Amino acid sequence: MAQGSVAVWLSIARLAGQEQATVAVEHAVSACAQAVEAGAALSMSLASGVAEPVYATDARSDGLEELQVTLGQGPCLDALTGDGPVLAGDLTAAQALARWPQFAPAALHGGAAALFAVPVQSGAARVGVLSLYRDRAGQLTPAELSLTLLYADAILMLALDERGGLAPGAVELVGRGFTGRRAEIHQASGMISVQLQVSITEALVALRARAFAESRPIADVAADVVDRRLSFAPRGVTIPRQMPRKPHR
Amino acid sequence: MSQRDRRAWQAFVQLADTLVADFDIIDFLDTLAQVSIDVLGVSAAGILLTDHTGSLNLVAASSPQARMVEQSELQHAEGPSLDAYRSGAVVQCPDPSTARERWASFAPAAQAAGYAAVYALPMRLREEAIGAMNLFSAEPGVLDEETTGLGQALADVATIGILHERAFRRHEIVTEQLQKALNSRIVIEQAKGVLAERLHLPIEEAFTVLREYARDHNLKLADVADALARGELHIRLPADEPYRRLRRGDEFSELPPTVCTRRAGHPSRGASRPENITARISRMTSSTRSTARWSFAAQG
Repeated sequence: MAQGSVAVWLSIARLAGQEQATVAVEHAVSACAQAVEAGAALSMSLASGVAEPVYATDARSDGLEELQVTLGQGPCLDALTGDGPVLAGDLTAAQALARWPQFAPAALHGGAAALFAVPVQSGAARVGVLSLYRDRAGQLTPAELSLTLLYADAILMLALDERGGLAPGAVELVGRGFTGRRAEIHQASGMISVQLQVSITEALVALRARAFAESRPIADVAADVVDRRLSFAPRGVTIPRQMPRKPHR
Repeated sequence: MSQRDRRAWQAFVQLADTLVADFDIIDFLDTLAQVSIDVLGVSAAGILLTDHTGSLNLVAASSPQARMVEQSELQHAEGPSLDAYRSGAVVQCPDPSTARERWASFAPAAQAAGYAAVYALPMRLREEAIGAMNLFSAEPGVLDEETTGLGQALADVATIGILHERAFRRHEIVTEQLQKALNSRIVIEQAKGVLAERLHLPIEEAFTVLREYARDHNLKLADVADALARGELHIRLPADEPYRRLRRGDEFSELPPTVCTRRAGHPSRGASRPENITARISRMTSSTRSTARWSFAAQG
């Protein structure tokens, strides 16, 4: 695992340890806030597409997160619906005021000069958005940005496992990220989403849960799915074919 | 000026233009791949770049075969590009069949894809290594000094451009773009899985279906993949026409038709997402038509 990733997970574990709790999503959010010296908040996307603020390190971050949902605009919402981070280093800048005409002035009034929103996602599997708030203007440095992205990856893994009802600490067994053979993991997620008739997010949850249950590397389970040795389709259910039956190869 | 000198000169001009204009890293790397193929006389190119975790990602590949070989390198964590990235030196593989000891899984993958030689050029500036560019050839043999030098010069220009963007100019914009591009590639993998399962096809054939659908409906591949992954799009194959199998050795470019995607009035990202559409795929009636659409670089 890359150096930066190790440091990120250590910081999360340390924070959880201080509370004598097992590692959970909120520890990752707090650890990120500490690492880049900002307030942090996490909003989760609901099936309806609406964002729901779930964690915040402080009242201001919480308030600004709610404000974006109320106003229906802001970097957090843009990051939720777009595919990439929205890094607003200066909310007084003309572009910020043009892009978020109600939110930007309100945020400034609320004491935030910069806001960095990073999607917590893997392709179409969207869990939510991690937002960082600062009272001084200025972009995150490349190092801080890199850290933030790593924390977002960690939050993704933890959130998926929590959703799957895996035991706290499951991430240690299932894996802290997608290492080699990532393409297969993503392809398997797509296949499973059809087999279970669920979203890609739920498919990824199911994939991780299966790997945990069988104590196998997630990449191996994914390979079984892609090679059609393993199907998640409920038995006795025929997935409607979209083309005429072909001779079995 | 010789034909090759002229092509090299045009290549540098084209790269420089892309660098100084609105910098889009994926467009730039696709251009680099295409330019390298034209100038260096190879069949295909692939480009790997590191992401925020320090691991290499495949960011551009000029053909499905090149993409498969690059993914194999990443999967098994071995191969010429990885060696070039780590060492900072050019790595030549003039005959994969003799390289099985060095790279047990890469060599068969390259041969299976129909490549007789592979050359990897490091993308590095002094101490900072950002990735590698892999060149694939249908002919065996070593790349001569002149061609290697030219290839390295192209890779160096690209490296300098990317590092400059990262270090001095709006690194956050580069990050925003790169993250979007990487996420978009993930969506494409997920969409392949969705389609493969729905149509009971192997993954690579599902990708061909996806690509042809996007092209035939003048949509961006990323948008079609997104709609598929979200379950908003369903693609059916015509029941009466057996699907044309991807033949081994079929070499065709998968670079996006730049002319099409930059056309004024091209549907914006949001608008192009079809809702609950069931569509038929029109079968390609001739391979010459497909090569004419895809090999746009050869025309100019």
